[in-house]
Amino acid sequence: MLVALSFFKVLLPLLYLVVWGLYLWLFIGDSSVARRLCSRVAGITVLIHLSAMVVRAMELRRLPMGNNLEFFSALALATLATYLVIEFRQRGRSGGVKNTGVLVTGVAFLFEFTADAFIINNAPDNPLLKDPGFAGHAVLVLFSYTALSLSFIFALLYLLLSRQLMNRHFGLLFRRLPSLETLEKMSVGAVKLSIPLMLGALILGHLWMYDLADRLPPDLAAKLSPWDPKVLISWVIFLGYSLGLAGYRFLGWRGRRMNMLAVIAFVVTFTTMGLVHHFFPSFHKFQGHLAVWDLPVLEQTQAPALVEEVSR
Amino acid sequence: MNGPSIIHLWSINHKNAPTEVREKAHIDPVAAVKLMDCLDEDPRCVSVIPVSTCNRTEVFLETPDGVDPVEPLCEGLEAAGLDPAVFLGNHALRLEGLQAVAHLFRVAAGLESMMLGEPQIAAQIKDAYRLARKHHEPGPGILRAFQGAFRAGKRVRTETKITNGAVSVAFAAVELARKFFARLSDHQALLVGAGETGALAARHFLQHSIGHLTVVNRSFDKAEELARTLNAEYQVARAKQDGPLLAAGKAVVTARPWDELGAAMAQADVILSTTGALEPVILPDMVQAAVKTRRGNPLFLLDIAVPRDIHPDVAEIGGAFTFGLDDLDEIIAGNLQARKGQIPHAERIINEEIVEFQKWLADVDLRPTVAEFRAYLEDLKDKQVGFVRKKESDEVAAAVDRSLKQFIKKVLGQSVSTLKSEESPEVREQDLAALRRMFIPQGDPSRPRPNPAGSEQDH
Repeated sequence: MLVALSFFKVLLPLLYLVVWGLYLWLFIGDSSVARRLCSRVAGITVLIHLSAMVVRAMELRRLPMGNNLEFFSALALATLATYLVIEFRQRGRSGGVKNTGVLVTGVAFLFEFTADAFIINNAPDNPLLKDPGFAGHAVLVLFSYTALSLSFIFALLYLLLSRQLMNRHFGLLFRRLPSLETLEKMSVGAVKLSIPLMLGALILGHLWMYDLADRLPPDLAAKLSPWDPKVLISWVIFLGYSLGLAGYRFLGWRGRRMNMLAVIAFVVTFTTMGLVHHFFPSFHKFQGHLAVWDLPVLEQTQAPALVEEVSR
Repeated sequence: MNGPSIIHLWSINHKNAPTEVREKAHIDPVAAVKLMDCLDEDPRCVSVIPVSTCNRTEVFLETPDGVDPVEPLCEGLEAAGLDPAVFLGNHALRLEGLQAVAHLFRVAAGLESMMLGEPQIAAQIKDAYRLARKHHEPGPGILRAFQGAFRAGKRVRTETKITNGAVSVAFAAVELARKFFARLSDHQALLVGAGETGALAARHFLQHSIGHLTVVNRSFDKAEELARTLNAEYQVARAKQDGPLLAAGKAVVTARPWDELGAAMAQADVILSTTGALEPVILPDMVQAAVKTRRGNPLFLLDIAVPRDIHPDVAEIGGAFTFGLDDLDEIIAGNLQARKGQIPHAERIINEEIVEFQKWLADVDLRPTVAEFRAYLEDLKDKQVGFVRKKESDEVAAAVDRSLKQFIKKVLGQSVSTLKSEESPEVREQDLAALRRMFIPQGDPSRPRPNPAGSEQDH
């Protein structure tokens, strides 16, 4: 297993680099070879990365998102996989869909390179990471927010192309990017992916929270509240994006304003999350590690039975 | 070019001749047939294929090596009712041998076209080639040169990006519209004005499957007439492509009166304006009203009229994207620049195909003898199989037939390989003579005549 992990540690950043290189080659040189290969190689990379995650989870016997670097690797996988889904759904609609991949795969490569360059297997053995409820919740959150990030990127590309057209600049972006309509559909498509994932994450999070509360002493259970600011703001984000989607679907919201809204929504989402995280008390906090919940009370063995149970 | 025959070319094209000379040199299909019929009977010629388009006329003439081609050409041109002086004057490009073949390859690839990389020339050369084959059997050299040209053209178009991007105003308009809308079939266009320029642009949008086109013109009769013409053309094009025809009473192009311009604008995603009006006819308040109904969807306006039809203040309206002829010219210039960047790649492909042609040429002396040898072996095989069929079952005869075919293939393969490997032309000629002496007795009327062009495939 350790040999396999070491192998993946070398292979994965190389694969992500190749994927990025292909998308870059396609964007700069409009190469037909790159056009033919990029999605296939990206798909293979996702499958190999998924296998690496499974091997890592089996080896460590926990969700492989135990520290910042592991989280970055998971983020790279989520970014590439979500992008491929969106690209696949828009294939054949308009030329240039694949040309949007250069930004996304570049970001994915940076995440994976950072993760594999510095990763060490000494993440704290937090019992939460062994809990299937938490694992499902965390994975759904990861994918839903990744999809929102992609929606932001596509909306940004829409605004860039729109501006170029308005200013009559017929440069590289004009030649390479797909139509405004396609970019809008890609942005909305990403939100459409995100909404059910986010709903799943919220529901699973609530169910898991109640399940955990049942197993904790009353004073600790009281800390797990559905009125926690972070949980509340997540519901607000979910409702906000759902409303935007309804406006697109039923009220015909389109164009520059809709994409501006998508950019603003994303910026507001992450700013609000940051503010809530730093300025409001929450049980739902990260401390030092992006993906490891810090429930110090659990660590202090005030609930030894639970710790023992989840550890087993 | 070495070998028993040589290809000559006279080319009058947009690079070396003005329009009036090109018009005089134009060879229509009737004249082309007369030219081919005349030269087909001339022992000084092997074959001729004229290629004539609006920008070029090229006459490819294959003659036995050492024959002066000018005299038979002049006679042929005169017989076809053309003036030979045009082809022999200063405006004609005169090439022969490999240079002529390379020129044909470049023409077929669109490298010599006025619009670099335009694909129509390949179809025009194919038409000329088909016409020639319909009326006479072209010589092996010219046949192989044209087949090589088709292959070179196809490779250049598929392996390079020389055909990418619009290089005409009407197509650039479609390309620009496609930067807004993914599928034009989901959108509606409005044509303001029913003149020739507008009709041309409308045709391009219809060719690229615009969902619906409305024509608005000051004279409603003219708008209706254009709509009728475009609908008829659309139906013919659909029938040619085996696409579904429009149901009776349904039209992809409709006309509306001038006073409904505002209402038509509100329904359109693409507005093409091409009137001859001296003052702008599309005003800011009209566009503002149209944009309001669109809930943020971009409105694409293209002004290809001189003087301009769209008021300059329209450009300030958010959601309305206005473009003019200058913008289309800029797009075309960018695309042409990109196409020019593909020339080195295209030239490499042409050179590869020239090398292939040279290889073929190097073995051209083998072909008649090898073809006769093959015919002799197949004749023997057929006799042997007929003999077996009389005595044994059909299955046994079929098995013998298969076995002998394999045998012939191996014998021929070995013989050709040995002949090709002989570098000395004298020794090779001696080997060929020996092969002919042993297996191909001269003057045997019962012997089947092989195809002199070998196993070349028709395109």
